[in-house]
Amino acid sequence: MFIEDHMTRQPETIRGGTLLPEARRLLNECHFRHLPVVDEQGGLLGMVTDRDLRSAYPSSVLSEEERRSVFGRVEKTSVDEVMSTELSWLTPSSTLDDALLIFDREKLGALPVVDNDQVVGIFSIRDLISAYKGLFGVGEKGSALLFIRDDGREDLLRTIISILEEQKIPFTRLMRISKPQQKARIVLRINTFKLAKVHHLLADAGIEVVHA
Amino acid sequence: MTSVNDVTIIYDPCYLDHDTGGDDHPEQGARLETILAYLSSCEDLAFCYKPPRPALREEILAAHDESWLNRFEEAVLSGRTFIDHSDNQIGYESYQVAQVAAGAGLVGVDCLESGEETTVFCMGRPPGHHAERNMPFGFCFFNNCVIAARYWATRYGRKRVAIFDFDAHHGNGIQSAFEEEPDTIYISIHEHPSFSYPGTGYHDEVGLGSGRGTILNLTLPPGGGDREMEALLTEQAEPFLVKHQADALVISAGFDGHVNDDMSGLHYTTDLYRTIGSTVRRWGHDYCDGRLLSILEGGYELSVLGESVAAYLIGLSGRSRP
Repeated sequence: MFIEDHMTRQPETIRGGTLLPEARRLLNECHFRHLPVVDEQGGLLGMVTDRDLRSAYPSSVLSEEERRSVFGRVEKTSVDEVMSTELSWLTPSSTLDDALLIFDREKLGALPVVDNDQVVGIFSIRDLISAYKGLFGVGEKGSALLFIRDDGREDLLRTIISILEEQKIPFTRLMRISKPQQKARIVLRINTFKLAKVHHLLADAGIEVVHA
Repeated sequence: MTSVNDVTIIYDPCYLDHDTGGDDHPEQGARLETILAYLSSCEDLAFCYKPPRPALREEILAAHDESWLNRFEEAVLSGRTFIDHSDNQIGYESYQVAQVAAGAGLVGVDCLESGEETTVFCMGRPPGHHAERNMPFGFCFFNNCVIAARYWATRYGRKRVAIFDFDAHHGNGIQSAFEEEPDTIYISIHEHPSFSYPGTGYHDEVGLGSGRGTILNLTLPPGGGDREMEALLTEQAEPFLVKHQADALVISAGFDGHVNDDMSGLHYTTDLYRTIGSTVRRWGHDYCDGRLLSILEGGYELSVLGESVAAYLIGLSGRSRP
C-alpha cells in the first residue's frame, strides 16, 4: 500500500543546465516520459516531460527558415528554462491513495519520490494501475468476483469474513459500496473454484449473492 | 443414422480412486458413477467401452515441467491432502490416476488414427483444463487436452490441433500452453471472467507473439443460456475454426454450465449439450476429416450430469434424440 513498494528506485535524473537536445535523447533512448531535474546534491528542482520538449521544438507547419531559427534557439536552451517548477511529489511512506489523489487533481503522468531532500524514486500512473491490480487480485488466476446484496445489517461484513476464514478461503477484496445512486453491494474477490460452496454458506447465513 | 457403437467411451474404474476428501468436494468419483449409471439406463444407447493406459512420463512432459511432476508425486507419496490450494485435493492414488486420465486421450487419438473408432469420449478424472505447466489449478493436475494435442502432433504429425472448450469456466491452462504458438488454436466459450473462476479468458486475450490471433475467448454474462451459446457457436466459434484450418479437433467437454449446476451462473439446458454434440460432430467431419476427440472436464451437479453427458453423446454420435 506504500509507494516505496511500488516505485522505480534510483530513477534517471537530469541537471538543470542540460541542453534540450540531450534531454530529448535521454527520454527517447530510455523510453521515459518524465525526468526529475535535480541539483548537485540530488535535490528536486523541477520535472521535465516529453510534452515540455515537444512544445519547445518547432512546429512542422512552420517554414523551413522559421524552423531553422527555432532549432537554433532550442539547441541553446537548457532544461531549467522549460521544466515545471510547481511541483507535487510523494515520499516513500506516501500511500497509493495519496498518489491517486494527486494524479486525479493535477492530471500528471508521474511523480518524483523524495526522501531527505533527495530524489529516490519515480512513480507513474502505470505503476499505480499495476499496484492496485495486484492488491485487488485483478487478473489473478484462480479468483472470481462475488456481489452480495447489502441489506444494511450491522454484522454483515463480520459474518462474511468469518465464513471465509473458517473455510480457509483466501480473498483479495472486500468492499462495501454505499454511494448514493449505486446499488448497496458488497464486492468480494475470492480465490477458490468452490464458488457454489461459498454461495451455500452465505445463503445459510441469510446473505444473498446477486449478479449485478 | 450411424451405428450406436460409433461412440467409444474410454474409461477405467481406477478413476474413482482419486480421493478428494469426500462429499464436501465437488470433483468426486460419484460424478463418473452417476454418468455410468445414467448411460446404462438408456436402453437405446449402447456405447463401446475401452480402457485407457497411463500416459508415459515423456508424454506428460510435453505439457508440464519435470519439477511439477516431481512435486505432485512427492506430495501424494508423503500423504499430503492438497497441493498449493485446498481446492486441489489429493489422495495417495491421485498421481497414478492422473496419469491414466492423461493417457485416455492418447488411446483415443490412436483409435481415431487407426480408423478403429470414429468418435471417442474420454470419461476420466481428475479434469485438466485449468492445470498450468508448473502448477495445479481448480481440481486439475495434468492438462489432459494439451497432452492429447501434443501427442497428436508428435505421433501423427497433426500439427494444427484446435481445442474447443465449452466448460463454463475458462481453460487457463490450455490457453497458457497454446498462446505463443502459431499452429495450435484454442476456442473457449465460458462465463465472463469477472464473475467466474479462474478470472481469465477475457475477449482481448487473443494470443501472444507468433501466437497472436490463435486464441478466441467468447464470454457469456451470468444467466447466459442456450440461445446466446448457440449464437456464439455458429457466428463466432465456427468461422474462427474454419479460418484456421485445423488438422484435428479436441473438445474440452465440461457440463457445469447447466442451469442446475451452481458451479457457474450460466443457464444451459440439458438439450443444449445435444446441440453442442451434433455441432462439434459436424465440425470434426467437415473441417478435420473426422479427427474429433472429446475429453471430460467439469460438471458437478449429480442430478443432471448423467443426462447432460448422454445428451452430448447422442449429438456426438449423430443419432437422433431417442
